[in-house]
Amino acid sequence: MPPAHVVLEADSVEQLLSRAYEHAYENGWTDGLPIIPATAAGVQEFVAASGRAREEIIGILPPRKGEATVEVIAVNAIMAGCRPEYMPVILAAIEGLSDPNFSLELMQVTTNPMCPLLVINGPVRKRLDINSGIGCLGPGWRANATIGRAVRLILNNVGGALPGVYSKSSFSSPLRYSYVCGENEEDNPWTPLHVERGFKYEESTVTVFRAANYHNISGGEGQGADEIIRHIASQMPPMFGAGDGAMLMLGVNHARSLYEGGLTKRDIQERLWKFARLPVSYFAESFVEMERHAGRCDGKTVWRCSSPDEFHVLVCGGPGPQDVYIGAGMPQTRTIREA
Amino acid sequence: MEKRGVPTVMIATDMFKQFGRRMASTQGCPFAVIAETPNPIRQLDPEALKARVEAMLPTIIDGLTLPPSEIVRRIKGVASEQIRPAGIVRSSVPI
Repeated sequence: MPPAHVVLEADSVEQLLSRAYEHAYENGWTDGLPIIPATAAGVQEFVAASGRAREEIIGILPPRKGEATVEVIAVNAIMAGCRPEYMPVILAAIEGLSDPNFSLELMQVTTNPMCPLLVINGPVRKRLDINSGIGCLGPGWRANATIGRAVRLILNNVGGALPGVYSKSSFSSPLRYSYVCGENEEDNPWTPLHVERGFKYEESTVTVFRAANYHNISGGEGQGADEIIRHIASQMPPMFGAGDGAMLMLGVNHARSLYEGGLTKRDIQERLWKFARLPVSYFAESFVEMERHAGRCDGKTVWRCSSPDEFHVLVCGGPGPQDVYIGAGMPQTRTIREA
Repeated sequence: MEKRGVPTVMIATDMFKQFGRRMASTQGCPFAVIAETPNPIRQLDPEALKARVEAMLPTIIDGLTLPPSEIVRRIKGVASEQIRPAGIVRSSVPI
């Protein structure tokens, strides 16, 4: 179905913008925030910036099996406030989300507030000013704010994840507006995420994760590597649906301390796996039973993850004794093919 | 399964019946028979669950035994309202 063309008339630019926003909202095209109207010329510019054909289908999005063509993606990217040069990032993210192993359909319809988290690696971060340092998961950076928003509008408008219609997310989540950051490769003393996942250092990639939460961990500074990891692990309790995995975004301070303490990334994964456990007596018996079947319980303790491999360790953000823990897994990485 | 010729009934709680209907519709079965029971059900003990099942049995038996044309005749109006509810629904997608 070709995108609908709408003619709006107004006496002033201000009135036209206001009408465009009202029209888009009433038709259910927005996340509730104001949008930039997608004009034919704008769509053409965004399609050109993608380097792909207008009608190329990037993914079929569940549950309503909507075709995410380059053109439809462009319309949503414009509405979200993107720049044309963000298009390749959004296309790569939609490719990753459409992978059959990602189980996007569950995310689109479940009562759980799970949502996509996009981690961006490589030189594209600098070119597009994607924040990977101070404030990388917060407001203030157009690329971080609008790329994630474009993905959300695509999931709603193409996939049909409209709250209360196909999406049954009981609470939903503020993370569904936009959840995007770059990895702080410059302050990462180890291997960055995309290299770990088999891509070249100089390649630009987006990795999509299925994410359940956001939890900032403060403190643990100045006590040595072992204490830092114990403190972090204490903030990672076993949780329902833990099979997806756990992400630790190390802040710059702790990354440096752990590195200077002689720890490799593998050491960190193994220690998190060992320390992120709690006694079975803390939990409902039914939960313990479920975790035992899932391989996350030894009879005495319940574990956050069943193996060290399920911990994804990244370096993001700016200086300070802060880290971020996200219940996240099922990563899918795609190369960003800049036009 | 219905499309493969196996008579099928969906069981859903009342709060999920519209959702179930729309999901069935995306799979090409807008007239799936849905046996419903009040939400929630996780807390119910076996006896209470049995009572809920018995209350749904007539719908389940009808759904498994009536000819498809009769099922469509009975469900058509309800299905249409569940898939496309009257009133204002903000949605860019066909629902």
